[in-house]
Amino acid sequence: MSVRTTTLSLLAATMLAGTAQAEDKVFVGHLVDYTGPTAFVGKSYGPGVADALKYVNANGGIGGTVIEFETVDYAYKVPDAIANYKRWKDKGMVAMQGWGTGDTEALISFVARDEVPVYSASYSAHLTDPTGANPSTKKPAPYNFFYGASYSDSCRALAKWAAEDAKTKGIKDPIFLHTGDNHPYPNAPKKACGEYAAELGMTVANPVVVPLKPGDFKAQCLTIKESGAQYVFMGNLGGSIVSLLKSCGTVGVKANYMGNVWAGDYKTVESSEAEKIIFPSSTPFYGQDVPGMKTVEAILKGGSGEAGEKPTHHYIRGICSAFYMKEAMDWAKANGGITGANIKKGMYAKKDWVPAGLEGVCLPSSWSEKDHRGLMTVAINQGSFDNGKVMIERIAESTLPRREDWLGQ
Amino acid sequence: MGHVPNPRPAGDFRTSYIRDNALFKTGFEGKTALGIVLALIIAAPFLSNYVLSQLIVISIYSIAALGLNILVGVTGQISLGHGAFFGFGAFASAWIVSSFGIPALLAIPLAGLLTTAVGMIFGVPAARIKGLYLAIATLASQFILEDFFARADWFSGGVYGALAARPTFFGFTFDTDLSYFYLVLFWTVVSIVAITNLLRSRDGRALVAVRDHYLSAEIMGVNLTKYRILSFGISSFFAGLAGALFAHYLEFVSVEGFTILLSIQFLAMIIIGGLGSVYGTILGAIFVLLLPQVMEGATTSAADLFPALAAGKAYIKEMSVGAAIILFLIFEPEGLIHRWRVIRASWKLFPFAR
Repeated sequence: MSVRTTTLSLLAATMLAGTAQAEDKVFVGHLVDYTGPTAFVGKSYGPGVADALKYVNANGGIGGTVIEFETVDYAYKVPDAIANYKRWKDKGMVAMQGWGTGDTEALISFVARDEVPVYSASYSAHLTDPTGANPSTKKPAPYNFFYGASYSDSCRALAKWAAEDAKTKGIKDPIFLHTGDNHPYPNAPKKACGEYAAELGMTVANPVVVPLKPGDFKAQCLTIKESGAQYVFMGNLGGSIVSLLKSCGTVGVKANYMGNVWAGDYKTVESSEAEKIIFPSSTPFYGQDVPGMKTVEAILKGGSGEAGEKPTHHYIRGICSAFYMKEAMDWAKANGGITGANIKKGMYAKKDWVPAGLEGVCLPSSWSEKDHRGLMTVAINQGSFDNGKVMIERIAESTLPRREDWLGQ
Repeated sequence: MGHVPNPRPAGDFRTSYIRDNALFKTGFEGKTALGIVLALIIAAPFLSNYVLSQLIVISIYSIAALGLNILVGVTGQISLGHGAFFGFGAFASAWIVSSFGIPALLAIPLAGLLTTAVGMIFGVPAARIKGLYLAIATLASQFILEDFFARADWFSGGVYGALAARPTFFGFTFDTDLSYFYLVLFWTVVSIVAITNLLRSRDGRALVAVRDHYLSAEIMGVNLTKYRILSFGISSFFAGLAGALFAHYLEFVSVEGFTILLSIQFLAMIIIGGLGSVYGTILGAIFVLLLPQVMEGATTSAADLFPALAAGKAYIKEMSVGAAIILFLIFEPEGLIHRWRVIRASWKLFPFAR
């Protein structure tokens, strides 16, 4: 009898231990672009997320739970992203670290149905209206999050800066122009930003289509020159920006070039030999003196080394994206278990919060059930290549109002 | 075709015209085909999701490649725009469902019909030009359609793509891979039977005549223009049908999925499988779709042994399909199906096999 009881209890114990071990892991899918058209910045951001998750696991995980993650290079192809998403869903994915605008927007209804929070590297404003409160919202996106100002909001901040700049320089009729590929990512802020620029009293010229893949863009530059635009917004990134700046330099376009958050980093400035390119950022740059930079250095040291010795600010945003997810998972674990729905609630638990250890690195952000615009603050930087050295300085910082009509647009 | 002995047993001569035209050349062939379909139906519930998804994709691509084989293998034309027709079917089905509320099960063949119309329009140049010139003309259809997908917001949702929900049938939704596999299998069988059937009809023989010697065909009374354009139509129908099945499988259609690379992949399937052969096409689809995955496994284990290879893993994987095509053109110009026929003949002739 006693032998039997012992065996039974042993069996039960092993079984319990077995289930406990099974619960000790949660699966997170991680999409990256290392070989596609956005690889220029993907190679910085992707390792940021992966290194941060590695660091989290090395430092106790989510209260003991290991984050199991799989990094897949989908080369910016939407169908591949969807196929991977479905595969991961079958593996019991609780959250996803996503990448591009095309795939993230395509997945909106899938992740809402399956309750999988997605932390995208796409900052498209279409992902910020979780309930469809704004009548102009096409698709509510309840399970989409990202760290940083939306493309539309950063473009608005740039338009605001441009309007003020024009006033100080005494330009009477400033002209604003959007360039970018016919692709969800460059298109995301096109309408919203143009409307705001018009609201600020600028003339909005016809947008110019510039391919996302690098090439010879002299024809496009001639169009820009003809439009007479002083403020050119570039919706693309990486090689395309470099090509555009070089082609327009040859053609002799005199304009202020402004990019979105992916368009500007020291690598782009260096290879394009840019002169005063304006770009926003939502983190400090690597090596800046803020308390949380120590954690970033530790993550880089323990990481795969793919981001290089001196990572760009995209790497740091990747870390922030992973850590906001991590803290939401912490909350979920304490409040009913790490499930997609609980992680989503975890994102709403605090106001104006920064993940522990990253003070000064990630800026205080708030998400609420009705508003997924985490960050409204945009820092504006100016980068120049001067005598073989890259100079980047912060020239302005603005916090935009949370306007109702801007939600999701 | 290289010389392959007759697959029929000794003494089994075809004595009537009807038997000469049978759907399956031997009883064994018919039984095997039926056996494979039955085995798939019975085995499907026990297969893992991964295997099922592979089977679904292979079946869908086979349908599209079968269509291309009618055009290239049977009629001797060329198309570099098959991927775009596949895409057209995908968008068309999503559009039919979302704009007219027609159930997806019906929208799938309807999308095939719409693609037929589009294919016939783009096939018109075939009436006048052939060979390399036709290849370039069909290349235009690839780019025109791709650009159309990216700009026609009303039809394709533009660059944002379109949603294509899984089909439902009286409250039953094909939302699992298993149920969807049965739907795809049904269409695959229908397509195979339809094409095998076509090849033994008057029209099928006319298509072959156009390929083998168009001048003789014309003298014999075959209307070249009609059959060339018809061939484009038939091939587009299967491309559209497969595209629609693909759309409802992925549940989302994106412009990016239907580039020239897809067209070339379809060509690779029929060249590797065997031009003009129905079963060869299926073998080719299996080969082209599984090769990258086999190479992935092979390169992963090779990378474990030689860490220097790790960086080039993706490159080696991508290259393998190209290398396979070159090797096939050199060593097996008549495709996998020819190798299979030779193997089969050697069994029959054992111990006198080569």
